[in-house]
Amino acid sequence: MTRQIRLGSVFNTLLKEYTIVIGIMVLVLITSIVEPRFMTSGNMINIMRQFGPLILVALGMTFVILAGFIDLSVTGQLFLVAVIVMKLIDPIGQIPAMLVGVAFGGLFGYFNSKVIIFSGALTQAEALFITYGLSTAYIGIGQMISNGKTMNMSIDLTSSYSMFQYVGLGFIGPFSISFVIFLVAIVILYFFQSKTYMGRSVMLTGGNKTAARIAGIPIYRSITIVYMICGIMTAIGAIVFMSRATTVTSAMSIGLETDVILAVVLGGTYLGGGRGSVLRTIIGALIVILISNCMNLLGITIFWQDITRGAILIIAIWLDAQKNN
Amino acid sequence: MDKMNVKKILSVITNQRAVLAIVITLIVVAFNNNNFFTIYNMKTMLTTSSIYLIIGFGATIVLVAGGVDLSIGFNMSVSGVLAVYLMNNNVPISLAVLCALIFGGIVGAINGYIVVYQKTEPFIITLGMGISLLGLGRLITNARPIVAENKAFLNISNGMIFGERLNLIYFTIIMFAVVHYILRYTSFGRNLYAIGGDYEVAEYSGINVRANKFYAFVLSGVIAALGGVLLASKFGTGNANYGLTTGFVIYSAVVVGGTSFAGGIGSVPRSAIGLIFVYGVLQNAMNMLRVNSYTQMVMTGIIIATVIALDSYSRKRIREKV
Repeated sequence: MTRQIRLGSVFNTLLKEYTIVIGIMVLVLITSIVEPRFMTSGNMINIMRQFGPLILVALGMTFVILAGFIDLSVTGQLFLVAVIVMKLIDPIGQIPAMLVGVAFGGLFGYFNSKVIIFSGALTQAEALFITYGLSTAYIGIGQMISNGKTMNMSIDLTSSYSMFQYVGLGFIGPFSISFVIFLVAIVILYFFQSKTYMGRSVMLTGGNKTAARIAGIPIYRSITIVYMICGIMTAIGAIVFMSRATTVTSAMSIGLETDVILAVVLGGTYLGGGRGSVLRTIIGALIVILISNCMNLLGITIFWQDITRGAILIIAIWLDAQKNN
Repeated sequence: MDKMNVKKILSVITNQRAVLAIVITLIVVAFNNNNFFTIYNMKTMLTTSSIYLIIGFGATIVLVAGGVDLSIGFNMSVSGVLAVYLMNNNVPISLAVLCALIFGGIVGAINGYIVVYQKTEPFIITLGMGISLLGLGRLITNARPIVAENKAFLNISNGMIFGERLNLIYFTIIMFAVVHYILRYTSFGRNLYAIGGDYEVAEYSGINVRANKFYAFVLSGVIAALGGVLLASKFGTGNANYGLTTGFVIYSAVVVGGTSFAGGIGSVPRSAIGLIFVYGVLQNAMNMLRVNSYTQMVMTGIIIATVIALDSYSRKRIREKV
């Protein structure tokens, strides 16, 4: 009798803990039965390719969320960095352009964090609005630089863009270049998060800002670092993105911020900050991509996909909050 | 000493920011354009901003109670789409409008339920709701604007009373009075200030905090839907994409007016000044000065960031004093 009850409650907790994961698994199962194309190697490569920019930005965002903040400016940053890199390829060459792009990403992150620290905007709500405003400004600046036109590597560049082609299509052994970049990033970021003093400071800042400050944790430096990581990762994501698309347009990053937040939250990082891990975000990003991949294969329209994405975001946060109450 | 002066100036700026911003803008425009201070332009300015003023009054209710509903932008556009869609399918105008308002209320109620009763942070929840609503709106319209076949519907916003096409301004004045009355002179409104000021103290004082905050969300949803119906009527079309940036910009405009992001502080007249600045004066001035649309975008972004930063800065000073 007691054993049955215990089994039942274990099942209940499992169901609660992994509601969304179970839901996604059902979706994947249905897709693989109904649609034989899902299990083909072509589709798997497709999934790995989509993995690139989303996971890179999501890894950066994980740190911002771990510190109890949020960064909606990734949308604007991704576009603006792509525009800057595009404009610099001709004058200074490919690799310097990429490096300058990454440096700009760090700079934008630094700027974001300074605005937030100076104004004392220590709640997620304020950070949300400030970074949204900055995102709009970044997109506007990008549009001003590019004159609002779509820039195409094969048309607008006079010099070669072979490095970008390599990043977009190349392989090292069995892995695509974007996958290798992701592997390097995850190793560095996981080491930073779990083994360094600053990484632990970030977690403590997210747990309780006031307590962390009183305990002598450098919370302002943590905030600067998380936003800079997010900016740099977004810049790398921008380079991977533009390498694959070989075009740069303001439409490239629309809706990115919600997909990224969705990936972080679905992975199981607590939106309020303090708990979670970059490793979890990998699963989250994979889920986000699987959702759209399955729905595409099942022939579900983009409208229903939007409705579902919003609903999943709401349910994920709702369940997370229930766990914490 | 120098630092004290800087702080003093910053505090004046933060407290009177909306009035200051309007005055500066007016001075800049006055030197550069003769067509700005004409009755015709004033009317245009008020009519274009009127719908956002109405929705902003609704946003004020939620913000005063310490919440945020970022889905109001898409709530607006989808309610308008719904009204037009129903009318095109032979539903009478009054019934279609009623359905749209109820729809807005339901959206507000879902937001309110998840935020208030399930104790979640409202920002990402309502952002998610916005995405779902955008999908729904595009699903109904097949991602194209739909034109209202019944031309009588256009009279709601564009009709002629007293010989002038000022219906939208009358609507705004009525909603101003109604929402101001609710917030100022009803116990519901006073409770919202208490809840926004300090949730726990309000709870211990015996206020039904949850129900009150929940109804704030519902009310704001209905008002957003009303704005959506008026917008659809003004253009004669329903378009799911109208609300893409509205949520963020309206809340920022309300904060420009002086309603605090932390809740408990603010009023409808203040919000009105902020909304008139952002949606009326600034927009109009930039068009008059022929600022191109990308620069306008940069300006809007910087204004949103600055306004929220200044609002938090004013609270940082209070925090540091204690």
